[in-house]
Amino acid sequence: MSTLDSQELTVEDAKRQRVRARGLLLKLAGIAVLLAMWQAGVTFLDVPTYILPAPMQVWAALKSGLFVPLDSPTGFYIPIAGTLANAAMGFVIGSIFGLLIGSLMAEFRSVETVLMPYAFALQTLPKVAIAPLIVIWFGFGNGSKIAMAALLAFFPLMVNSFTGIRNTEPERIDLMRSLSASRLEIYARVKLPSAAPFIFAGLDMAAVYALLGTIVAEFLGAQRGIGVTIVQAQAVTDVAGVFAALIILGALGMGLHLIIRSIKRRIVHWDERRR
Amino acid sequence: MLSVPLLEKGEFLIAASSVGKTYSTTSGEKVLALEDLNVSIADGEFVSLVGPSGCGKTTFLRILAGLEPASGGRLSIAGHVVSGPSPDVGVVFQSATLLPWLTVAQNTTLPLRVGPARDRAPTGVQALLEMAGLTGFENKYPYELSGGMQQRAAICRALARAPRILLMDEPFGALDALTRERLNVELQRIWQVSRKTVLLITHSIAESVFLSDRVLVMSPRPGRILADFAVTLPRPRDFASTPEHPDYLRLTKEIRSVLDRA
Repeated sequence: MSTLDSQELTVEDAKRQRVRARGLLLKLAGIAVLLAMWQAGVTFLDVPTYILPAPMQVWAALKSGLFVPLDSPTGFYIPIAGTLANAAMGFVIGSIFGLLIGSLMAEFRSVETVLMPYAFALQTLPKVAIAPLIVIWFGFGNGSKIAMAALLAFFPLMVNSFTGIRNTEPERIDLMRSLSASRLEIYARVKLPSAAPFIFAGLDMAAVYALLGTIVAEFLGAQRGIGVTIVQAQAVTDVAGVFAALIILGALGMGLHLIIRSIKRRIVHWDERRR
Repeated sequence: MLSVPLLEKGEFLIAASSVGKTYSTTSGEKVLALEDLNVSIADGEFVSLVGPSGCGKTTFLRILAGLEPASGGRLSIAGHVVSGPSPDVGVVFQSATLLPWLTVAQNTTLPLRVGPARDRAPTGVQALLEMAGLTGFENKYPYELSGGMQQRAAICRALARAPRILLMDEPFGALDALTRERLNVELQRIWQVSRKTVLLITHSIAESVFLSDRVLVMSPRPGRILADFAVTLPRPRDFASTPEHPDYLRLTKEIRSVLDRA
């Protein structure tokens, strides 16, 4: 590579960095304005704390849950660990089944014909409405949380792997057929990797849905978890505590999204839709 | 590996007699794509098939490659009736169709890792890559390559199993004119070194005359062979002098007039 090229590259990089820094500054300014308006509104309009707490009170609630030892019974860490463990387990189970069923439906017309009506019916059903049933079947322990998370994680994986596999470029399949590749070889070596961008989009959704499913199941009764923290704070009209738990949930969801995106970038480095 | 009987004198490596193909559209309509197609190609011959869009050239190539069955007629490769894909046939598609998650080396050796006879030792692939001018690009991904290089890698892949026949479906159609000429010269060189039997489908009269021993001209749908031109221009041909050869000028003119009348 010539020195000219590398110089141009650094100029480009510097420009991109400036644009990114400006964006970050704007976002921070936006947050600051929002918080200031919130604080001012609560103070000047005299809104009672049990309706809307001021940002400083929410911050205090966050601090009291976060700036404690990891094993503190009043801290956020034990509920976070409980919720995350169940959501992760449900995510893995739901994703595996979703990928499996989606693949079978894409590969075999007969499976598609039989399962598609159920998939449609369940897809249109608000799945959190199933939560009470899940609790009856799996009890108030971890089982119902994992089952609910798995149920919600299942659908995006099923739909996206089905769509991704069916969207495989026909020329790629012709290529494999011209090499006398077996059906399994065509699936594993061409269709599955071709569907990878879709599958990762499904995983991204599934991670957030798994968290949602766990929380809903926790609302209906659980020993520990962020859902329990929210219900407990609500019971004593600790609205600042509810806000603090919601902020924690938001951060967890964002964290999961970022983790999956970074894994995706490493694996699907060739993503055709981005190039 | 397929047992290949030695060819009798005068027998053709590829022989198609009265091959026809009828499609059914989704609305139940019958479309006649090929009708009474007769093509014979000798071992080591470079043959081009030119014809208007939609005349069934690609359909014929897909039937030869074993990707689609013929509706009628008789089709044999090296004395065997074509009933499916054969390791004796390498296919180069319109687009390079490299798998974007594999490196150039992994793409070109793919034929050695799939199919009933997988796990063959990758003999000669390095030499193939060298022949195609891809040395040093083995570990690059397809999106890091130019269109011309991608198609060269696709040709290498088609040659990986050392097939006797190379079927090429407008492989250079998407490339710019200069890259196309360069690849034509390279394909000629690869063909002269490897002595494969090549059937090239193309829209370009210039390309067909430049590369071929014979140019077959097809009619609009349903496709039939209208004319069969022998090209005896001296080899190696090049774009500096060959296009000025009187035979080249006469042939391109004659092929064009057959296509215009069709």
